[in-house]
Amino acid sequence: MRIFLMRCLLFHSMACGIISCSSYRHMQKINASDDCLQKFKPRIQRALYSISVDVTGNHISGLLLIKTMPDSSTRMVFSNEMGFSFFDFGFSRENEFKVYQIIPQMDKKAVIKTLRKDFELMLFRNMPEKRRFTLQDSSLIYYGFPQTKGVNYYITDTNCSKLVKMQRASKRKAVMEAFMYLNQASVPDSVLIRHLNFQFSITLKKI
Amino acid sequence: MRRLCFSLASFFLAVTANAQYPGFAVLKNQDEFKQAFNAATKNTETIKSDFIQEKNISMLSDKISSRGKFWFKKENKVRMEYMQPFTYLMILNGGKIYVKDGQKENKVNTNSNKVFRQVNRILVDCVGGTILFNPDFQTRIWASTKSYLIELEPVAKNLKALYQKINIYIDKKDYTASSIDMFELSGDNSSIRFINKELNANIPDALFTIP
Repeated sequence: MRIFLMRCLLFHSMACGIISCSSYRHMQKINASDDCLQKFKPRIQRALYSISVDVTGNHISGLLLIKTMPDSSTRMVFSNEMGFSFFDFGFSRENEFKVYQIIPQMDKKAVIKTLRKDFELMLFRNMPEKRRFTLQDSSLIYYGFPQTKGVNYYITDTNCSKLVKMQRASKRKAVMEAFMYLNQASVPDSVLIRHLNFQFSITLKKI
Repeated sequence: MRRLCFSLASFFLAVTANAQYPGFAVLKNQDEFKQAFNAATKNTETIKSDFIQEKNISMLSDKISSRGKFWFKKENKVRMEYMQPFTYLMILNGGKIYVKDGQKENKVNTNSNKVFRQVNRILVDCVGGTILFNPDFQTRIWASTKSYLIELEPVAKNLKALYQKINIYIDKKDYTASSIDMFELSGDNSSIRFINKELNANIPDALFTIP
């Protein structure tokens, strides 16, 4: 009986592995240009957002200023409503990430890495054309950009008329998804970033 | 030679002082100020005011402005309501902080969190006139024709990690805070300016009720 149970468990875990492997595997590789993604790329000169961050039952709110600097770098400053700065991050024009300032309570490698990747996806950073691949399922096109670890996906409808969502994925499955709504000037009006493997979400609303 | 060095040092100190806060000089008779300040704050039971806040982000050469309404009631009740360009409510009542941003509410018991307790005390002490007794700071007092300036330098280790200094400008007319400037280690600073002040207005306790 015990052996039977163990076999069942083994079969179950193998089956789960195969199913999780197949998150993108059933999709068909296609040749498609990613030119259409340009129209979904946020173009922010200066935008101020109210930001809500929820992490495993804890809630922080504040303001996020995103600004393009004269040297074409992009800076992101998160402060609370009373003006106290939590962090100041930047991406250079060459996509190098820099922490200009962060409070000791947030100065953890995992926190910074997660936030960097989230902003990278949202701001259409690190999208090397040479390594891009495209997948299609019945109603969506997945533009995949391999990262050092995992893949960033920009997912549109088949006509590329709408950015349905963005995803960051491990080899097997999506670990984060983001939804972004741009205004007519291509500035995000609202953004929702939701991690799927732990309780962590970021909401931005333009003010 | 020693006298020359002393004179030069005094001269440079004076120049530095004036350069730091134009129009202000170090207050010579600090005890007199403390007595007058204590007497005035003893007579202030409530403060009702509008406020304008400006955060200067030095490295981005940018500024974030907001405004709202402020209420203070002795001994330790504060209500700050940001109205533009976002809504945000903060109530400090005794040892508790209540925050409402958008639809989310948050309550913190400051007695269980030292940093919250210290930050909470700064605001209450600044507007309540008890800042000179706060052991978390070393104070220096300056004066101009219209204002006193209390410069607070954190001595508590955890506050040192947050602020370089906090300056409170006290109106000479009524000894109430006209502005609080908070300087962060990054070089950024935030200023809260109180306007349309009304002293000892009738403010119902209900405004400070934490739901």
